[in-house]
Amino acid sequence: MQGLAPPPVAVPRTLPEALAALSAAGDGAAPLAGGTWIMRAPIRHEAHAPAYVALGRIAELRRIDVADDEVAIGAAVTHAELAKALSPFSDLAALAAAAAGSANPAVRNAATIGGNLCARGFPAADLVPALLCLDAVVEIAEAAAPAGSRRLPVEAFLADPAATGGGRIVTRIVLKRSGLRSVHVRLPLRKAGDYPVAIVSAAIGVGGGGRVESARIAVGSVEAAPRRWTGLEGAINGERLDPARIAALAASLAPEFSGRDGVEAPGWYRVRVLPTLVGRAIAALAAAA
Amino acid sequence: MMQVTLLVNGEERRLSAEPLTPLLDVLRDTLHLTGAKPVCREGFCGACMVLLDGAPAVACLTPVALADGRSVETVEGLGTAETPSPVQRALEEHEAVQCGMCFPGMVVTLTHLTRPGNCAPTRDAVKAGLVGNLCRCTGYERIVDAALAVMEDGR
Repeated sequence: MQGLAPPPVAVPRTLPEALAALSAAGDGAAPLAGGTWIMRAPIRHEAHAPAYVALGRIAELRRIDVADDEVAIGAAVTHAELAKALSPFSDLAALAAAAAGSANPAVRNAATIGGNLCARGFPAADLVPALLCLDAVVEIAEAAAPAGSRRLPVEAFLADPAATGGGRIVTRIVLKRSGLRSVHVRLPLRKAGDYPVAIVSAAIGVGGGGRVESARIAVGSVEAAPRRWTGLEGAINGERLDPARIAALAASLAPEFSGRDGVEAPGWYRVRVLPTLVGRAIAALAAAA
Repeated sequence: MMQVTLLVNGEERRLSAEPLTPLLDVLRDTLHLTGAKPVCREGFCGACMVLLDGAPAVACLTPVALADGRSVETVEGLGTAETPSPVQRALEEHEAVQCGMCFPGMVVTLTHLTRPGNCAPTRDAVKAGLVGNLCRCTGYERIVDAALAVMEDGR
């Protein structure tokens, strides 16, 4: 905004230093990760925060810890690093594909998982629906509480505007190793490089009879914010992984979405393509079976 | 203002800048390296591509504070008219050079892609690597030919 001083940026080396710097910088100060969203604030006619604290030099936020039962991803891990690290894990395929296919290579080298989660107002975030379908848990640190003491399921994190800000820093995103297969399907209008018109991420468990036993399905880019599609999750319970049948169920339930108009596509189009994307997601899961 | 040290094309440069200044503006306005172009300024077009510690970065969305202490390679550092780099030579030989809007960024991205281990020597992989470099002349095919020729020579 005109007349305001350009925001200072602190570049701490440890999480305690970052939390202290954020508290010291006062109300409204915000973490800065890769910068690909925050640097475009002026284009969105949004004011910058009065001060930023950069997270990219904090080693513990750049780690990915893989254990048998969970994978913990540092908030400052980039999309490119994430895609590479997760490629061996089929249960986390939705997140690996989201990270590998979003934006373009140079943006993937900068943009982080924490930044993608905290970029409120970004409807086409790729990682967020993937994290929704994988039932991720978000760890948050603040000066008064040790790192990891505050944990929120990703849905609760997204629903709570106070989950970020106020001196808080998202430190890790933790994924349980469910053993379910997962998939991330997106529709950009070009083959790649632009924002997807619609995104479907799904993690589906299939029982011995080949019927769906559990399903978590998330939709991105269609409405202003990504969300679970619980209506469809319930409807496909007990169904076989038949893409045409499940796409037809999706078509019958799609009117619950009210699509957002945007430069890439009008709202009705985003809703219209959803059943097709659901069908593609189911086909991919069936093929991997 | 913030004191920043950049290793630009192998040369240490010290300067002071507002920390959120795009690296692109520091390169062009302070260091007078105008090869990186300000075109979309949204990270879509790739005309401002530089290599940050060897990896492609859109200089328009890179706050200079995050480049402090790091290596920055710009198109100016890649070769000269007398001694072009392998990528520049291949682009000339394949008559792939087009208008100057996207091309400096193309050269920077291709320099990264043709370094060992960064890209499989296939058309699809090169195209995937060029997703963030938009050419409005639409002449990608010869650019891909040139990149593949450099990769073949390098093996």
